[in-house]
Amino acid sequence: MGTQVKDVVIKPEAPNTLLLDKHADYIAAYGSKKDDYEYTLSEYLRMSGIYWGLTVMDLMGQLSRMNREEIIEFIKSCQHDCGGISASTGHDPHLLYTLSAVQILSLYDSINVIDVDKVVDYVKGLQQEDGSFAGDKWGEIDTRFSFCAVATLALLGKLDVINMDKAVGFVLSCMNFDGGFGCRPGSESHAGQIYCCTGFLSITGQLHKVNADLLGWWLCERQLPSGGLNGRPEKLPDVCYSWWVLASLKIIGRIHWIDKAKLRSFILACQDEETGGFADRPGDMVSSLWNCHIQFCICIYILHVISLGLAILYTELIILCGTFLPVLYISIQVDPFHTLFGVAGLSLLGDEQIKPVNPVFCMPEDVLQRIGLQPDLLN
Amino acid sequence: MHGRVKVKSTAQQEEEKRKEREKKLKAFVSARDAVLRKRSAGEHDEEALQLTQQLLSSNPDFATLWNYRREVLLQLETSREKDEVQKLYESELHFIEACLKVNPKSYGCWHHRSWVNTRLPQPDWTRELGLCDRCLSLDERNFHCWDYRRVVVKESGVSVEQELQFTDRLIGSNFSNYSSWHYRSTLLPQLHPQPAPDSASNTSPSPTASPQIHSHRIFNCLCQLCDLPPGSVSDISNEHNLTVHWTEKYTHRDCALYTGEHRDQLLVCVCGRSELSVEKSSVLQAELQSCNQLLELEPQNKWCLLTIILLMRALDPLGHEKETLAHFQTLKEVDPMRSSYYSDLCSKFLIENTILKMEYAEVRVFSLSNKNLTTLCHLDQLLLVTHINLSSNQLLRLPPQFAMLQCLEVLEADDNAIESLEGLYHLPKLEEVSLRNNQICKLSDLESLASCTKLTRLDLRGNPVHKTANIDSELSQLLPLVTALSL
Repeated sequence: MGTQVKDVVIKPEAPNTLLLDKHADYIAAYGSKKDDYEYTLSEYLRMSGIYWGLTVMDLMGQLSRMNREEIIEFIKSCQHDCGGISASTGHDPHLLYTLSAVQILSLYDSINVIDVDKVVDYVKGLQQEDGSFAGDKWGEIDTRFSFCAVATLALLGKLDVINMDKAVGFVLSCMNFDGGFGCRPGSESHAGQIYCCTGFLSITGQLHKVNADLLGWWLCERQLPSGGLNGRPEKLPDVCYSWWVLASLKIIGRIHWIDKAKLRSFILACQDEETGGFADRPGDMVSSLWNCHIQFCICIYILHVISLGLAILYTELIILCGTFLPVLYISIQVDPFHTLFGVAGLSLLGDEQIKPVNPVFCMPEDVLQRIGLQPDLLN
Repeated sequence: MHGRVKVKSTAQQEEEKRKEREKKLKAFVSARDAVLRKRSAGEHDEEALQLTQQLLSSNPDFATLWNYRREVLLQLETSREKDEVQKLYESELHFIEACLKVNPKSYGCWHHRSWVNTRLPQPDWTRELGLCDRCLSLDERNFHCWDYRRVVVKESGVSVEQELQFTDRLIGSNFSNYSSWHYRSTLLPQLHPQPAPDSASNTSPSPTASPQIHSHRIFNCLCQLCDLPPGSVSDISNEHNLTVHWTEKYTHRDCALYTGEHRDQLLVCVCGRSELSVEKSSVLQAELQSCNQLLELEPQNKWCLLTIILLMRALDPLGHEKETLAHFQTLKEVDPMRSSYYSDLCSKFLIENTILKMEYAEVRVFSLSNKNLTTLCHLDQLLLVTHINLSSNQLLRLPPQFAMLQCLEVLEADDNAIESLEGLYHLPKLEEVSLRNNQICKLSDLESLASCTKLTRLDLRGNPVHKTANIDSELSQLLPLVTALSL
């Protein structure tokens, strides 16, 4: 009996140098073949796809290879009467794509091609009674949208239009026993949500409300023996968590708690040397080695231990029997999403071939300096 | 985007695949165009439902289609009787379930299901709970399903005890159930509510938030150092301090007025310190025993080691100091990826122990030398300290919080790796600083010292900065008041 420790094994032949030129070529060509299957099926997130592509090109100093005029016209065609912006023409507006659009226009210093006041009204109108934000008029609530709202308004210099106290109160109500954050109050901690919430608290000047030591520990425990990071306990590593987890650690001042060299190796191994771009994890056939190293893992979660005035102790003891065994997997496909987060992760790790990236906005630091936005980070 | 596979194959297979994809793509594009055309034409009919159904079954993340579907359903509602509306939405639930089978992690599907339940004249929460059970039996970590379950439980009034039993079952059949453990952490406080957090402590406002790990609660103190006009404190009594103690249940509070050297400052401190009750103490003691037994079986187990450290701190931080240090050493060996974390945590505990060993706030001379410190914390507890020794550690910086040490007169911080002196800023009483053998590299690293107007002695021997051109004259320009400078 046992639970596998989910992880990947990096082959010795995996890429170990950064192939920036190949990635730039990959992104520059992406979407030019408009009859591409993947491309068409991902139309529902096109605005974010463009943001990912442009940001990674800018980080690599290759932004000029993208079609600025075409993109700006596209964004203009996506702003609806309500002020919100959609992922693509004919699609409905949503906070996610409103943020992506504002980020793109910030990169291009062309924010005024859209009706900014209407965007602000749209965002403001999505705040609910309890301080949370809906993604659109259909009412889905998620802390991701709290982040989208304040990030959008911060980039537009209009944070003052929302009820800040309530917005903060809602996000804090999503904090869990482990110091992390979930989608809604009571939701399990997840690295993506943690990125959104720590980013939110940074923008709103409330980082002191985070338990940095507790959250930092949870985050550094995302690092697996392969060096890669997962998004929550007992999940497989994924290069996009090199961003969500790493940026969160940077925001709360604990980035030194992960093994940077091992993470870098993992990220580099996710590159595709043939096509350029990054996949979610390293590829190539690996025969499964039944390396049964049975290890009795004792995991004790001290839940709510010794809090002031608690009558009953929530100490619970579980014994986890773990068998360590590498997972069989095969080559994985690259995409712009994982390419951005691989490169951005490497930037946060200090790679000097890449421009410094801002951990809150996932945009080049020089763009934010130009705008005059320097959100707080914890030491 | 996640977990997609590129499988290498022959040229012929590639060509076949390409043709197949082209066909699929054409079908998708024509269906998509047809739907968007209908929508632009304002058509909200059965055909719209059929077309969107086709597309959403394999593209559940195409959010605009769910929106259109909702518009159609709302339109159809207006021309139907209640029982027909019930049927309409029940068949919608069937459809959503089919989509969930294909993609159980689609935000769009789950949200639409929640929306449908708000439109159903008679929602069937038992069925919804059953759906959650089935879904979780396939994937216990599906957070969409857990979140949906929480809504169902709330609407249908399932009891906390029942849900706790549900988590018992799941954990009983498979320990690897962080999602269940997390759920328990939100259920248990509902069964055993905490009293409201007091204003003097730093507990977070959320009922689901974690109270801090035990060792931190000793240091929930609010301190403030105030300057008073001269002559405020009369010389009637010889007492230097006035302290008021009181107890609320298990919490002790102090409010202490301390006079400074020249009787011109008061330290106001409100400190909450809790004692462990006998019940808590014995439960923790039992846990510690169990863990130690497990450690004998598995001496390299990091979870066990870390938990023992935390339990020991909860019970007797000073008494267990030696053992704690030994365990930290083992931890760094068995889990080297996180050795920075363990070093910082160990540093924090050593600083806490040093503070505990001294009589609170009477401390004027504070030594933390030779403790392998990688980080500084609890500086807010050292407001009256006049002499501090941080020598022979592994500190990289004096953080901004260092500026709280407003009474500081002498700082010794030799033999570290200090590059940044951000925290040596506006320290009005600071006279002497020793930073021998550190990593001060540039003149700009020393700029903050210019704001310490009483600084006269500065020892910078063994720092790379001495290699800077004209360093003597540069320094005398930057820090004209420093008379004894060693480079």
